Amino acid sequence: MASTVPAAPTRPRTLVVASAFGTGSVVMYFGCLFALYFSIRHDAMAWGAQWYPEGAIQLVPGGMNMSTMAMSAITMGWAVHAVLNDDRIHAMIAMALTAVLGIAMVNQTVFYFKDIGLPIDASEAATLLFTIVGSHMVMVAIGVLWLGLLLLRALGGQDTSRHRDLVSAAALYWYASVAVYSVIWIGIYIAK
Amino acid sequence: MTTTDNAAASDSAPTALEQAVTTTDPVALARVWGFGGMTSILLGAVAGLLVGLERLDLASADVFGSADEVFQFWSAHRVAFVLLGVLPALMALATTVVPRQCGGSLVFPRAAAMACWTWLVGAGMTVAGFLVDGGLGTPGGGGQREATALTMMGLLLAIGGLLLASVCVMTTIVSGRAAGTGLRDLPYTAWTTLVGATVWTGMLGVLAANAVLAYVDLRGRPAVRFGAEDAIWEQLSWMFTHPAIYVLALPVLGIALDLVSSATRTEQANRDVLLVATAAFGFLSFGAFAQTFFDTPGTPVAEEAISVVAAFAIVPVALAIVGGLADTLRRGAGNLGSKPPAEAVCSVLAAVLVLAATAVGAVRVIAPLELLDTSVTGAHFALVLGAVVLGVGAGFHHWGEELVGPKGRRPGLFLLGGLAVAGGTVLVGVADLVSGLLDQADFTGVDLATAGNPDSGVDGLNLVSLVGSLALLGGLAIWMLTGSLHTAANRKGAA
Repeated sequence: MASTVPAAPTRPRTLVVASAFGTGSVVMYFGCLFALYFSIRHDAMAWGAQWYPEGAIQLVPGGMNMSTMAMSAITMGWAVHAVLNDDRIHAMIAMALTAVLGIAMVNQTVFYFKDIGLPIDASEAATLLFTIVGSHMVMVAIGVLWLGLLLLRALGGQDTSRHRDLVSAAALYWYASVAVYSVIWIGIYIAK
Repeated sequence: MTTTDNAAASDSAPTALEQAVTTTDPVALARVWGFGGMTSILLGAVAGLLVGLERLDLASADVFGSADEVFQFWSAHRVAFVLLGVLPALMALATTVVPRQCGGSLVFPRAAAMACWTWLVGAGMTVAGFLVDGGLGTPGGGGQREATALTMMGLLLAIGGLLLASVCVMTTIVSGRAAGTGLRDLPYTAWTTLVGATVWTGMLGVLAANAVLAYVDLRGRPAVRFGAEDAIWEQLSWMFTHPAIYVLALPVLGIALDLVSSATRTEQANRDVLLVATAAFGFLSFGAFAQTFFDTPGTPVAEEAISVVAAFAIVPVALAIVGGLADTLRRGAGNLGSKPPAEAVCSVLAAVLVLAATAVGAVRVIAPLELLDTSVTGAHFALVLGAVVLGVGAGFHHWGEELVGPKGRRPGLFLLGGLAVAGGTVLVGVADLVSGLLDQADFTGVDLATAGNPDSGVDGLNLVSLVGSLALLGGLAIWMLTGSLHTAANRKGAA
């Protein structure tokens, strides 16, 4: 007797939708800080005032962090691809690597904050710098915690192509954190 | 059964507190949102009444000790209404009624529970911060810095809770609605909640950024700029004025459209026009750009074309929505009977007040009149928030059976409270509007210079405004009584 196997119901991508809304709000948060930063900086420059003291902002730490975040975007994409293909081992390796790169980024930022020689209350520029970069560090730290949770799920065999939403949702958030850092890198570290 | 079995059974039974804190039942959580929100609105109304009393004599501090204390209560009134009152009250409906309208259930119930308790803790911290001489800064720098920091932290937690709950609600509508139900098929309450939540999720993120920046600058050292006592409120004030406060009115317009349709048993005509109009209303409510504190040299942002055009453009949009409501009332008038439902009456009044508020908002931005810093801003706030409170109350009454239970509803008492709220709102709005036209400042302080050195006629108008505040407070008290009696009747029935 021929039997027809019913098609698996299409799961609404609830987690991805929720992640998109949450990430959107986070992006608005950084959008506000960037708008304030560039607006105040523009005014200061227009008046001929010094924004940062000469040599206060080094290009190397920002560049290193940008490279780290760019690599993490690739490993995150690898994780999504591996989960889609039910490749559990590669998914775990990719997520672990992404988390390690995130931790490295947080570590580099903390080191730079200690080394910068620019007190947080030195000027409006310094307060904004610490607020923006510090907020991004928190964003990355939350992403690392999320990835830790995903790793635990992957160890339990739950991250499969049928249950890939949590990985896709985390990836969306992670890509947003990389995008936010690119603005920090170009707008703060390079343009100073 | 042994004694040991009994002990084990009693140990495992959760206490009432454990049940309350660990529940993920949206109805139980909606009661926390609703009761907490309405209590905050009541507290905000008390703060507004005290400020109104102080305003009776503009030349000295009679009720409070100083201008800084007046400012703390004046700002507490606005914060209590918007972030601690109306938004959570809307969230009570959004987490219970909206999922049902979408044919599903609230997604992420545990996240929604966390959002509710986070908001409640944040709201408690914010209120405590205001009460211990903190608040959101003071013009004279007379507040306690630690208490101000506590208020900011509380505000951030409240924002976080509201954001998380909004994400749950929006995801429910977008992804959790019944199969085959398109966004165009949604009832108006669900649709306007989706649009409104999308806009306020963006704005709350921006408000959080402002608050974090001020908090970072406030803590531990002399503030550079953002955390200075006299600067904090102005950075956050955009959330409590045009155009941002309109977003609170959007779900109320949706509630009015649904309630009138239900009362008249008549479908709204031109459904797509109303959907577009409500979406446009939401779009025009986005106010995160209007941050006056960061004005650059040149035209202030409140006088920029984008602000002025938004203020005028929202009037015809509101008119279109209220016109749709009126059309449904006209076509279904025969089904209303001699006693139309109390909630339908209140929701129609709320929609009319929203329309009136948009007209006042448009008058406010006419540059030659120079009304931006006058009490026209206060009148605008009072009209919008009064309308929202009225509409939310109507929603609570209409869907009260789902939230509390079927017994003990008192439509007469509810209508009395609603009329008091509407009447009080109109009195405050009209009196403050005229006072503003006579140059009375929005924040009057306790000396004539800060008050705008107004003409003598303002004293009488301030008395009218005070009577309006009393009526508003009375109406809210009646509603709280109605809600308590409703709850008590159902508890007794359940017992």
